[in-house]
Formats: sequence, C-alpha cells, structure tokens
Amino acid sequence: MSFLRVEDVVAGYGAHDEILKQVGISVEPGEIVSILGPNGAGKSTLLKTIAGLVAPRSGTVEFIGGSIAGLRPREVSRRGVVFVPQENNIFPSLTIEENLEIGGHLAKAEYREHLAKVYDRMPDLAARRRLPGGALSGGQRQLLAMAMALMVGPRLMLLDEPTAGLSPTAADDLFGMVSAIRHDGVAIAMVEQNALRSLMVSDRAYILVDGRNARSGAARELAQDADIRRIFLGEA
Amino acid sequence: MEPVNDIAQLVVNGLMSGAILAVPAIAFSLIFAVLQVSNFSVAAHIALGAYAAYVVNTVLGLPIVAAVAIAFVAAGVVGVASDHLALKPLRRHGPITVAIASMALNLVLENMLRFGFGNTVQALNIPVYRDWVLGGLHIAPQQFYNFLIAAAVMVALFCLLAFTSIGKAMRAVADNPVLADIKGIDPEFISRLAVFIGMGLAGIGGVLIALDAAIEPTVGFRVILPIFAAAVLGGLGNVAGAVAGALLVGVAEELSLLVLPVAYRSAIGFFAIIIALLFFPRGILGKR
Repeated sequence: MSFLRVEDVVAGYGAHDEILKQVGISVEPGEIVSILGPNGAGKSTLLKTIAGLVAPRSGTVEFIGGSIAGLRPREVSRRGVVFVPQENNIFPSLTIEENLEIGGHLAKAEYREHLAKVYDRMPDLAARRRLPGGALSGGQRQLLAMAMALMVGPRLMLLDEPTAGLSPTAADDLFGMVSAIRHDGVAIAMVEQNALRSLMVSDRAYILVDGRNARSGAARELAQDADIRRIFLGEA
Repeated sequence: MEPVNDIAQLVVNGLMSGAILAVPAIAFSLIFAVLQVSNFSVAAHIALGAYAAYVVNTVLGLPIVAAVAIAFVAAGVVGVASDHLALKPLRRHGPITVAIASMALNLVLENMLRFGFGNTVQALNIPVYRDWVLGGLHIAPQQFYNFLIAAAVMVALFCLLAFTSIGKAMRAVADNPVLADIKGIDPEFISRLAVFIGMGLAGIGGVLIALDAAIEPTVGFRVILPIFAAAVLGGLGNVAGAVAGALLVGVAEELSLLVLPVAYRSAIGFFAIIIALLFFPRGILGKR
C-alpha cells in the first residue's frame, strides 16, 4: 500500500480536451517529490486532479489505500491532502488571522495549537495578523497560503509553482520553508519552474512531457543528468 | 421655515428613509458578493415581507417584533426556494442571464401576492404619534423607530460577518469560492445561506416600508431602483458600502425636492448609478 499512488490517469478540462494522457506518480510518507516539465505538460493539471478540482476520466488516484478520484476538493482536504494553488491562494479581504482560521476550518479542535505552531514558524505573519491578506507582498502571500494549508495538520501538501513570480530571496525563503515543513513529517509534491532549485530540495522527481511520464528518479541523479540539464538549464 | 432649517429637515428625512433602503440594499449586495449575480427579485421579497407583516400584525394582531421575525423567515425561505427552482439552473449561463431571470421571477412572485391579497392598499395596525420637535426639526417617532430597527439589523449582520465562523465562511466564499471549497467550506451551502439571509433582510425591509407607508404588491418594485443605486454606489458586493450608498441616495432624494418637482424624485436613483459608474466604478468606499 502506497501513501499517494496515481496510475494511468487521463484528465482534462473539457469533453474533448485531454491534458493528462497517461500519467502515474507516487509519493511516500515524508518525501519531497518534484513534478517538472515544459509548459503545457500537464503538471498543474496533475495536482488539480489529485486535489479534486479536475475529475479524472480514467485511472487510479489513491491515498493510503483509499480511492480519492472524483472526490470534492473539501473531501480530499479532509483526508489530509491539501492543495495550495499557484494563484488566488489566499482570501484577500479577510485578515491574515481570518485566513488561517478558514485554513483550519477542517481541524477546528486543534485550531489554537496549529495557530501557535504556524506563528512560531512564520513570525512575520503573526506580526501582521490583523492586516488583510491582500496587503501582503508576493512572497508573504505564498507563505500565508502554505500556512493556511498547515492549519489542518496535513499529511501531504500539493504545491503548484510556489516560487512563481517571487524574487530570488523570497524563493530561497520559500524553499527553506518547504524543507522545514517536510522535517515535521509532511510529504510534499510540488510543481516548479525552477527545476534545479527544486531538485536540490527534493528526494525524487518526475518529468512530464505532453501529458505523459518522460523520466523519473532520484532528484540528485536527475540534477546531474546531461539531458535534463540541457532541457531545463539550456546547457549544451 | 427658514432655508437652513429646511435643508436640515430634508437631510434628517433622507437619513431616515435611507436607513430603510439600506436594509434591502445590503441584501442585494450580500447576495451579489457570495453568488456574483444581481438578484432583482429582492423587490418581490420586500413585498412578501410587507404582506407577512400585514398578516401577523393586522390580521393576527401580533406585535411588530413578531412581524419582523416572521417576515425575515418567510422571505428567506421563499428566497431559497425560488432561487433553487428558478435561478440556480441558469447560473452556468452567466450572471446577465440570471439577472434577467430574476426580473421574471420578480413578476411571478409579485403577481402571486396580487392573487392572494388583491390590489387593495393595506396598512399595518400601528398607532399614530405626534411628531417630535427637536431644535426646529420634525421627527416622526415611527420613522425614528424604523431607523432603530434598521440600525439593529445592520449591526447584527455586521457582527455575523465579522465575528462568527459562518460569517467568515461567507466572506471567504465571496472572495474565492474554489479556495473555500479546498478549505472545507461547501460553497453551495454558503450560497443558500446568503440567499436566505439576504432575502430575509429584504423581507425586513418590506416591514420597515410598510411601517412607513402602505402595503401593495409593487411596494418593493417601486424602491428597487434606489436600492440598486445604493448597492452600485457602495460597490456591488460591499455590504458596508451599500449602507453608505443607501444613506446618500436617501438624502439626495430628499434634497432633490428643493430643485425638482416630486415626480422626478425617482430620477435620483438613475442619476446616482450614472455618477457611480462614471466616477466610482468600484463604489464610494473604493474596494472590491
């Protein structure tokens, strides 16, 4: 029995639109797994399919032995699999603390405990907790989005391009946070544009091309692979 | 009367009538915020609330407080049912389709009231008080009580939205329904709740109008333009803005009496919408 197991998944947005043609990945407890590939490869769609935002047309999506394929997003979250979208991932008109409260909607009993942990880890958010979410900078927004996901005490976090549009410093902070969250035993599957940086913090990676698995393996090995370096880093 | 006092009197009158408009205006804005559609059947739910108050107060002889409570529940329930039957199936065709359908729904509901209660003008059974005179300003006690009821309703709604978990969930759905779903909130349930509370408030607005004037099937339709203007002026979906918009429209309508014949009073609503769209497309409070 795997932790997260996705097999032979076919999915898309419209009736004739097939973005994922045949994709499979797995994530083990406490792992960081990167999902890489060119634009349009279906990386985000894969995360959305796991999260319940896109229903798979066929294939298997299982979490700890139970199928989560076709469940509503909130039912997937309730099982401990929390998706952090790339954009629109906070509630801009709610205060930061209200954002965290909504983030912990599914774990109300542990609200105080989770809030203390999040504020301890992200003191910047604690200092600004009365400000509306919309007042935060891009990097802080991403941190808040991840903090909201932490409020349910997740077992697996799905991050969709967490460093998109961030400054190099803010991206560094974010990768640091990803490692710290994994250190607490939360598994992470993330889609990233910044392939090399992403491979440096990951245990394993999958490379998707045109809706299918192209390569997979240990992150360290993929980072050394000449083909990969050529595709993602433009090396000759 | 001297002109300064004249203006002050009109401003006071405008604030009183604006406060009554504010209740259905926040209803309109609340529904827009959560469902992203303009629901013009607010008008018929105002009338429904007015008739509920008529039955409870004039026919059954119960006090106004009971009329307010029952008007809220009756309009809320009819609001949820009519939304479910008539508007929800059209939601995937876009907000304009739903807005037009809501006007049709309004005609249907209004004529159901006409069928049940006739076209005769009815009134609530309330005592007539002598006006209070404060520093030369006349205030009708009933208008003042209406103002208090409207203020209490608005404070209650703000407390609900600001401090309760269900209120925060509503604001979350208004901000981003997909993210709210991921966080464990059922956007459909929240939408139904917003329609219930919104149409319930429209019903209370109907009671307030009935206390102020008379009851007939088009009692809501006659004020839907200033209500819509108040909501647009405040920024559609901005509940606090709707209150400010309603007070402004109320005062502007009264002040227009200085320069325009009373028949043109309803042009103020149109005028306010044009001003809002030209100069404050996001509302006078500037957000959302």
